[in-house]
Amino acid sequence: MAWDFGLSKGEEAYRQQVAKFLDRELTEEIARQTWEDLGLWKEGREFARKLWESGLLGWSWPEEYGGKGMPPIYDFILLDELGKRWGAHVPNDVGYTMTGHTILRRGSEEMKKEFLPRIIRGEIEFGLGYTEPEAGSDLSRLKMYAQEDGDYFVINGQKTFNTECHYSEYHWLCCLTDKTVSPYKGMSLFIVDMDAPGITIRPMITMSGEQTNEVFYDDVRVHKSRIVGEKNKGFYHMMEALGSERNYVFVPSRYRPYLEMLIDYAKNTMYDDKPLAENPMVRDKIAQIAVEIETAQLLADHARWMEWAQMTMTCEPEITKVVVSELEQKMVDSAMQILDLYCQLEEGSKYAPCGGRIEWEFLHSFMTTIGAGTSEVGRNVIAQRGLGLPRG
Amino acid sequence: MDFTYTEEQKMMKDAAHGFLKKVCPNVEWYLEMDKDEKGYTDELWQGMAELGWMGIAFPEKYGGIGGDFLDLVVLLEEMGYKAVPGPFFSTVILGGYTILEAGSEDQKQELLPKIATGELIMTMALTEPGTTRFDPFLVETEAKENGDEYILNGTKLFVSDANVSDYMIVAARTAGNKLSRDGITLFITDSKSAGIKMSLLKTVAGDKQCEVVFNDVKIPKANVIGMVNEGASAIEKTLQKAAVGKSAEMLGGCHRVMEISVAYAKLRVQFGKPIGMFQAVQHHCANMKMATEQSNFITYKAAWMIANDLEEAPKFAAIAKAWVSDAYKKVASIGHQILGGTGYIIEHEMPIYSRRAKAGEYAFGNPNYQRDLIATQIGL
Repeated sequence: MAWDFGLSKGEEAYRQQVAKFLDRELTEEIARQTWEDLGLWKEGREFARKLWESGLLGWSWPEEYGGKGMPPIYDFILLDELGKRWGAHVPNDVGYTMTGHTILRRGSEEMKKEFLPRIIRGEIEFGLGYTEPEAGSDLSRLKMYAQEDGDYFVINGQKTFNTECHYSEYHWLCCLTDKTVSPYKGMSLFIVDMDAPGITIRPMITMSGEQTNEVFYDDVRVHKSRIVGEKNKGFYHMMEALGSERNYVFVPSRYRPYLEMLIDYAKNTMYDDKPLAENPMVRDKIAQIAVEIETAQLLADHARWMEWAQMTMTCEPEITKVVVSELEQKMVDSAMQILDLYCQLEEGSKYAPCGGRIEWEFLHSFMTTIGAGTSEVGRNVIAQRGLGLPRG
Repeated sequence: MDFTYTEEQKMMKDAAHGFLKKVCPNVEWYLEMDKDEKGYTDELWQGMAELGWMGIAFPEKYGGIGGDFLDLVVLLEEMGYKAVPGPFFSTVILGGYTILEAGSEDQKQELLPKIATGELIMTMALTEPGTTRFDPFLVETEAKENGDEYILNGTKLFVSDANVSDYMIVAARTAGNKLSRDGITLFITDSKSAGIKMSLLKTVAGDKQCEVVFNDVKIPKANVIGMVNEGASAIEKTLQKAAVGKSAEMLGGCHRVMEISVAYAKLRVQFGKPIGMFQAVQHHCANMKMATEQSNFITYKAAWMIANDLEEAPKFAAIAKAWVSDAYKKVASIGHQILGGTGYIIEHEMPIYSRRAKAGEYAFGNPNYQRDLIATQIGL
């Protein structure tokens, strides 16, 4: 036991293998599908298959379901290497980094056998079905209800901001199964086939061009065996997964390509016969982006380390979440100040610097402090669970 | 990867915590130290020496304990937590480490064992009135060769603990123009030499920073550290350690400010409930926690890099100093906001920390200076 910020030999060897593969196989098109949440289409699925066949997926998963039984750090290395190359996440992000872990922790053996091998091979994806029009930050306002009917549940209601549903195979649905108790004690998690009769998906296009969805359930019949874990324990299953999910989803290495892009721009853009890299304001802003990426990376490294050392996480992943999301906004603001007038130009526009990437990122960055929990809720969590302040 | 202290570090941290609590008893004591010419007590200095702190990071053959820079950083964090005054930092990091890294075998044999026992107090004299900001390489103080000696003339500013020092390591120009990195030589200078005049500068933190004037001061040639004209790289290396060491002190300060502010928020009742129940106050506290966590890991990562002599150590030293300086300033200002009027009173602990946060921010290069170093490191 001693402070150590490096990778072991085995970890470093895996990292290099992944890096080599990604440098060869990760095209801009695939990277954009993941980074811009455009969806997991033919190219992305083909990429996932290659990743699996090259023996690089699933190292941190149990051997009995197709993994290699290694510690979580191997999956984190994979995510970091993807992030460094605009990859953002594994192609089947929700399945691989979120729902799969809850299935592993809480699912029946039958469910594990049905889903985990395909998740580990990168073959299937899930769409998260939590938010409803009346239930945003406050999940206790859920209305969607699953009525028991013999071996089935009949589900009715509406979800919103369910992002992956237009291309995922399954819906990871949270709804009420008991209306007579507190909502926290009456929610259950279901895995629903996305093409089940009675489901209607309606696209919602965001200001940065991503597609998210409204999902309507009209007498959708779901077999009891598709309840994840225990009936009416859905809220607790979600909460226990939250810290770990944040560890997988908020990956600071994603901002490194932006940093490199800005360094490159500053070195190669001349004003008054001098490169912008010599301008003190430009140097200061770019250096601050580097400072924030490095410190955020350490928050992530630390929270992830706690997870694989099986320590109790109180607010550590939440800190990563709040810091990383705000970093993204500050970074884009600094980048725009450096690009000045030209920051307005979108991709494809004449004179657009950095391929219009910064303009897109500006539009996208509004989501970061809202999605997956607002910064305000995040700070409440840090204050209450991390510092023991009383609930208001 | 591992985010834990070694068993020895844990024991040392606990011991330091207990000892410092005893020798730095209360706010009145700090206010006395502010006014006191020397600025610390013998009880504090001797106690630290007996615990072996001055030699913690030096090899055993020079009277040290054989630890590394990380061990030292653990201690500095505790010292920052208790806002400990005195010349420990100047002696060990500015003096001892410079000798260890760049000194001759004779100089190491002569000085390091005495530092380790607490017999010697040292510091380093860099900044000069010719600059308006921190720039260790603007050196106009002149050293002229004269037989077996050098004759030193010039003025140094912001020399920490010069008033209590036995020796100062003085950067002086032996060649080149005033901004040239080549041509700077480091001299071990007896602080009692004829021709040296010192006066204390009145500073925001009440720490002992001095103006030192050299007027035809004679220094034997044997007192040159390393090669003549090539002192810049030794200065740079020492400053990297100083930046991380200062970050560790500031990190300790962040922890203490957060501790007293959160405790107060839980106890102080207004509008019928503890103020810590209000989200406005909770968010302040969360901001302190986030800034402190980042400070923690970046400080230890930079220290780990220095201890292992890794290539990226200079970059991470600058990142640590840039981040932690900003973080401590922010944490201290939030602390004041939560503590309200209570924390504004001189008898309260809070002003000790906000004043030190300011001194720490400007020591060894403020965040703007560090970001300029980082910019160069990342290829700009």
